[in-house]
Amino acid sequence: MKYRKIRVLSGKGSSPGRFSETLRGIAVDRAGLIHAVGDCEVKVFDVKGKLQRRYRTTRPGVCIAVDRDGTTHVGQAGQVEKFDCSGKKLPPWRDADRMGLVTAMGFLPESILLADAQDRCIRRFDRKMVWLNDIGKDNNTRGFLIPNGHLDFQVDPEGIIHATNPAKFRVEKYTLEGKMVGRFGHFGVHRPENFPGCCNPTNIALTREGNIVVTEKAGPRMKVFDPDGKMLALVGSDAFDAGCKNMDVAVDAQGRIFVVDTVRLHICVFAREKPEKTEDRK
Amino acid sequence: MTRHQEPTRRDVLKIAARSAGFVALGGVGATLAFNRGPDGKWQICPSKCIDIRLGATGVEVCDLCAVSCVLPLSAVRAVNDFSKCGRCCICPGYFDITSQVGPDGLPSRKLCPRDAITRKAIGEIDPDDPLNNFYEYTIDEARCNGCGKCVMGCKEPAGLGSIRLEVRSDLCLDCNRCSIAIACPHDAMVRDVADLTKAEA
Repeated sequence: MKYRKIRVLSGKGSSPGRFSETLRGIAVDRAGLIHAVGDCEVKVFDVKGKLQRRYRTTRPGVCIAVDRDGTTHVGQAGQVEKFDCSGKKLPPWRDADRMGLVTAMGFLPESILLADAQDRCIRRFDRKMVWLNDIGKDNNTRGFLIPNGHLDFQVDPEGIIHATNPAKFRVEKYTLEGKMVGRFGHFGVHRPENFPGCCNPTNIALTREGNIVVTEKAGPRMKVFDPDGKMLALVGSDAFDAGCKNMDVAVDAQGRIFVVDTVRLHICVFAREKPEKTEDRK
Repeated sequence: MTRHQEPTRRDVLKIAARSAGFVALGGVGATLAFNRGPDGKWQICPSKCIDIRLGATGVEVCDLCAVSCVLPLSAVRAVNDFSKCGRCCICPGYFDITSQVGPDGLPSRKLCPRDAITRKAIGEIDPDDPLNNFYEYTIDEARCNGCGKCVMGCKEPAGLGSIRLEVRSDLCLDCNRCSIAIACPHDAMVRDVADLTKAEA
């Protein structure tokens, strides 16, 4: 399987469709629009990169997620700010004890999940925002090991949470109750399927087929694994700025992969190359 | 009305002795000020030093601080800032991460050529999951020669940049013409706080 970069969206600059200082998180909604947060602002692009709308956030956004009903959630330090489909501000969600730094969010019909990088765990709430349980704290370090300061996860439709555990160099799978049901990944520099540096992978997303897309820092790379942890594709460091870290990643319904270049402040769009049909040539 | 008293011989001698004392103190102060070198101590400018500077990735480690100092063991030493350290299981400043991975899942070689960094587990190691732990990394100053390898290894984005190089002012001879400053191709060795601020700007 091969991916190639087909375009970049946004970039560094002061025009309305660009980010001047930071680009932290992205999400793709059901309509295929790309929501990006940075510079205390949310910008919504179509897949060609045309700016559809933008609106301010009160605090710098760290991550962004779009619920099934189109409500946009922006994870920040100490709160989650909410906006309706048009960008109108809704009452924020605050929980001083359980929202240190919200770096990822996920939605299920019955529950909402969010990653608290300050307490190094994933929190599970019901739809009325009542806390149910924590995930990833049941170990001797009382949480995920994230020296990079960013905890990322994505929940699949069956309710299995796929989370990165960077200092353990692996992707871990948990049930909603917090039981670990699988993991893959090892430290290593020489084999491409392994994870190098002090802490990788840093960010994660799932494709419709259940494949797992992760990004790494130092040097920045993107990899696609099957659900058993077999590497299917690799996009090398030359696609990103060498100083990138914690590059958020999202996948749309067509299987296109969107990766944030945190230095150049743009979103790289990757599409799967069609396999060559050798038999047709004969 | 009282008549003004003439100063006695004793009073004159007292005034003369006091004046001589003030003159002597002033002279000593002036001599010290005159003999003092330029202001401040030698320091490393983090935004100029290639081993510390952010953005300088994939470049050779510069060890001129280690080899250029006039002291047998350089006055420049590596320091680990615990408030920034991630306590990683596989620290790229401690391990040579390009070396072969052993059966324990850890790189087989250390990075420091003088074995100046010690690694200690914090808390109990989970035998079923040995990677699941924090580690404390301490630099033995008596062994470190400021070669910068650990600094480059720990630099962001590979690490957290918690290890830095510092001129130890208690060891530095404060030479007027610092041999490291002469050798440094990046002009990263600066003399005082004003210079450092200027260089940072």
